[in-house]
Amino acid sequence: MQPRVTAPCLTIEAGSRVSARDDQTDVERVLAGDISAFEGIVRRWQGPLINLAYRFCHDRGRAEELAQEAFLRAYRALGQWRKDAVFSTWLFALATNLYRSELRRIPARTASVSLDDIAEPADARASDGGLEDHDRDLAVRRAVGALPAKYREALMLFYFHDMDVTTAARSLGLPEGTLKARLFRGREILRSKLPQRLAVPRLKEA
Amino acid sequence: MGRLIGRSIRRLIGDEEIDRVLSREDEILPSSGFAVSVMDAVRREAAAPPPIPFPWKRALPGLVVAGFALALVLIAIVVAIARRASTTPQFSMTLPSVMPPIFHGGIESAAIWTALALLVAFVSVKFSMRLASGRG
Repeated sequence: MQPRVTAPCLTIEAGSRVSARDDQTDVERVLAGDISAFEGIVRRWQGPLINLAYRFCHDRGRAEELAQEAFLRAYRALGQWRKDAVFSTWLFALATNLYRSELRRIPARTASVSLDDIAEPADARASDGGLEDHDRDLAVRRAVGALPAKYREALMLFYFHDMDVTTAARSLGLPEGTLKARLFRGREILRSKLPQRLAVPRLKEA
Repeated sequence: MGRLIGRSIRRLIGDEEIDRVLSREDEILPSSGFAVSVMDAVRREAAAPPPIPFPWKRALPGLVVAGFALALVLIAIVVAIARRASTTPQFSMTLPSVMPPIFHGGIESAAIWTALALLVAFVSVKFSMRLASGRG
């Protein structure tokens, strides 16, 4: 199945508002012994959890394995969910923690690129005032992939959660201030490595 | 001043570009059998017997014996160090007089320690055999 370009974060945001009550009901049913109620949770959150895993590993098969393990751990730890945060926040924090530790244990098979290897073209404004969008996007994504893990994960979670600092910080188990500092530093590194690509206004969009 | 403003504008544009690129990520759809596969794993997990708790009650005598043996070893080490220090002129300690007789060096001490070690080993083996046969 080919990846399709959409905005998963919008789905998550809408989903989290709609499903908060459903999540709570299903959790209560599972804790009361009705295992089949867990299927509702799986069906609601399978997309976001797989996509989050995919951002970590860029491997569809592994993303599903990681998401499955995340659901299993969530099932085991369901009784530990304190209702001070919505269920989805707890689930994302659990999944993020799992994905980070699993990726540390067995790194993603994608070829790791050093930040220094991401070179600027000789003339970044070669055609119609800027590079093609595709090249630019690819370069930015490669540069993000080459960032040190703490900056990469901060950026990844921030954009995954539709630029919501609070949710991203909770998913990573960090104070908001720390997350903001990492986002700032991560962007600084990106800007320093891709100055022409990121600093040139794209006239054709204006 | 102009340079500072220019840098700020460049930063804003850079952030905008980063936001634009990274907000638009590929999304993958779950495989058709994913939810079923997860639920199978959950049902297997639920059907599995609960993990066996550690038998603290049964292990307590063994732990006590182990603790006692460890304490004896530590005392022996301390005594050995003290005895070695007392042989040097600047530390003329008279520890042996206040310590139990088993710590006075020589064959007697070695025999006592050996007997004690054998006793501990015998008790451990008997205890573990009792546990293994389910009569504990």
